[in-house]
Amino acid sequence: MSEDSKNMNGLPDSEHFSDEEIVKSHVELSKNKHEPTKNFLIAPLVFVFVFGCLIFVCSIQLAHSTNSFQLHPPVEVVELTPEEKESQRLERKFSSGEKIFAARCASCHQANGLGIAGQFPPLAGSEWVSADPGVITNIILKGLKGEILVKGEKYGTSAAVNMAAVPISDREIANVSTYVRQAWGNSSDEVSEDFVKQVRADYSNKQDQWTGDELKSLYSTSF
Amino acid sequence: MSTDSPDKIIDRSAKLVFSFFISSAGLWLLVAALFAYLAAAKLTDPFFLSTYEFLTYGKIKVSQANAFVYGWGGNAIFAVSIWILARLSQAEVRGSIFLIFAGVIWNLAITFGLLGILDGHMSGHEMLEMPTEVWPAMLISYLIITFLILVIHRSRQIRETIAPQWFILAAILWFPALFLIAWNGMELNPARGTVQTVLSMWYGQSLIWLWLTPVALGAAYYLIPAILGRTIDKYYLAIFGFWCIAALAPWSVVHHLEGGPVPMWIPAIGTVMSIAMVFPIAVASTNFHATAFMDIGKVWDSLPLRFVIFGTLSYTVSSYIGVVFSLPTVAKITQFTIINEFHFNQRVYGFFSMIIFGAVYFALPRITNREIPKGAKSFHFWTSTFGVLLLLLAYLIGGLTHGVLAGQPSLPWSSSVIQSIQPYFLITKFAFVILAFSQLVFVVNVWRVIFPNPISFIESCKKEAGA
Repeated sequence: MSEDSKNMNGLPDSEHFSDEEIVKSHVELSKNKHEPTKNFLIAPLVFVFVFGCLIFVCSIQLAHSTNSFQLHPPVEVVELTPEEKESQRLERKFSSGEKIFAARCASCHQANGLGIAGQFPPLAGSEWVSADPGVITNIILKGLKGEILVKGEKYGTSAAVNMAAVPISDREIANVSTYVRQAWGNSSDEVSEDFVKQVRADYSNKQDQWTGDELKSLYSTSF
Repeated sequence: MSTDSPDKIIDRSAKLVFSFFISSAGLWLLVAALFAYLAAAKLTDPFFLSTYEFLTYGKIKVSQANAFVYGWGGNAIFAVSIWILARLSQAEVRGSIFLIFAGVIWNLAITFGLLGILDGHMSGHEMLEMPTEVWPAMLISYLIITFLILVIHRSRQIRETIAPQWFILAAILWFPALFLIAWNGMELNPARGTVQTVLSMWYGQSLIWLWLTPVALGAAYYLIPAILGRTIDKYYLAIFGFWCIAALAPWSVVHHLEGGPVPMWIPAIGTVMSIAMVFPIAVASTNFHATAFMDIGKVWDSLPLRFVIFGTLSYTVSSYIGVVFSLPTVAKITQFTIINEFHFNQRVYGFFSMIIFGAVYFALPRITNREIPKGAKSFHFWTSTFGVLLLLLAYLIGGLTHGVLAGQPSLPWSSSVIQSIQPYFLITKFAFVILAFSQLVFVVNVWRVIFPNPISFIESCKKEAGA
């Protein structure tokens, strides 16, 4: 209470600066730059040191994060490990094969790979699919006729695979047979494009479709 | 007699203007407090008042900021700058009638502006949300007031100027400059694309850094020597601090765009300039606190000074926190969280408003010759302090929680992130109630001194009759 009430009554207060004194003493201070002192002044030195450090930090920050004043952010190059690259390649191959299967195979063998009982043989869990990759490659390349036994059921009296009429590239064959060999619980290894090329060259002279027995004798080790 | 002293003559010339501006500022403070409570209540309970379209959160939140900055901030700046400059210039306030006229236009413009916002005519520019129709009225009334403030300064007795005058005059002149740049870039000749976003954000933040902040700093540079009766310690640094704020602050504010869709160099420059802002912050806090802590007992005894020192401490702490949050590594967590609310409230409540409260409590008894009861002031101080600290802690801790949780994409948004911030919103709602209460005490204090209580008037009449 004491402080304000004294002023309120306009009593002279020796402790108080008048406003004129405030201005005059501060003007005087800024002319003299600092309070007269005998000792060494530490504050300016501390300020200079701290400010120097800050300018250094600022420059580094500026150099690192302005992106050379370019409009667009830098393109981030992500280095993948060989394992990551391999798994990405397999993923791409699998999804490509899935598309080819949906377009060209699923109408008979069905999207779930189970086929239709008595008409179209299943691919899921089929011993023909999990056999040597040459079997499935040859069937796609040349087609298949006659009766075969798949998972103990007889197929092939009414329909036959005939792919020879429809052109399909080595890469597509590799992708779709990899897909078929790895989808729906199948777990056989992938089929490479080079392998398909080799098979195509090996049997280029064969004109008609394969029969089940021919394939079984050709790849007898894998059945 | 004391009435002959030049200070008394100046105070008498400023009485009408100061009373007008500070009582309207008080009313705006209450309006802003009401909006702040509504906005906080809507964050905890989305169905609160949800049937009123004009009270939707987006409108309330924006109205609160505008009422606070232009209504309370603007009027308080006029009152405090006019009085301090008149006192330091030892010149009377002239043209009171024009000042009041301009003040009325200013307040009407804000009133219509806020009604416009509630009615759905928001302009969409940060801190300029009031409909464009009221902008000319704001600018013209502001320029009239600026002119009359410059007249006061022009007729000063001592030619040399000191720190409070630089800061206050600069703030007074910076506002129309900011306003014109923003108006030109956003409405008259709209800038294209990103530039407008940058400009909008720059204006909103610069308003706080170049308008509210310098006035509060200037008031502190005046009040601390005036109350303590000693000169500012290491005063020779003040000029350096002043030019640093002038040069760096408008650059530093763009760090708020960190992570935004703007060229990378803009937030990078903002970060660097924010780090450089350590200079002026260090200067101001050295000036204030080195002076104040020489006589800490006196600071504690004088309530106006207690408010001011709370404000300057808050300034120092909040600005350093701002520097830390501007670093890209920290901004990764804090950006796009309720930390933004922390910054705004720290600046306008914890720093600006507290210093203005101190200045008003110092000036009012001198101007009106009536004392404000110490208990009422003290009550205001403690409720404000408690409310502000509670609010800021809730926003700070809540904001960090928000940032850390929001940075984990695996967490489900509403059930884990929102749930964890919910309690902090509840605390801020509580804090806003305390603050509203404390501001009500402030307004009652001010109004009772300016317009003496009719009840006490009747009582004094009774006493006289009894005698």
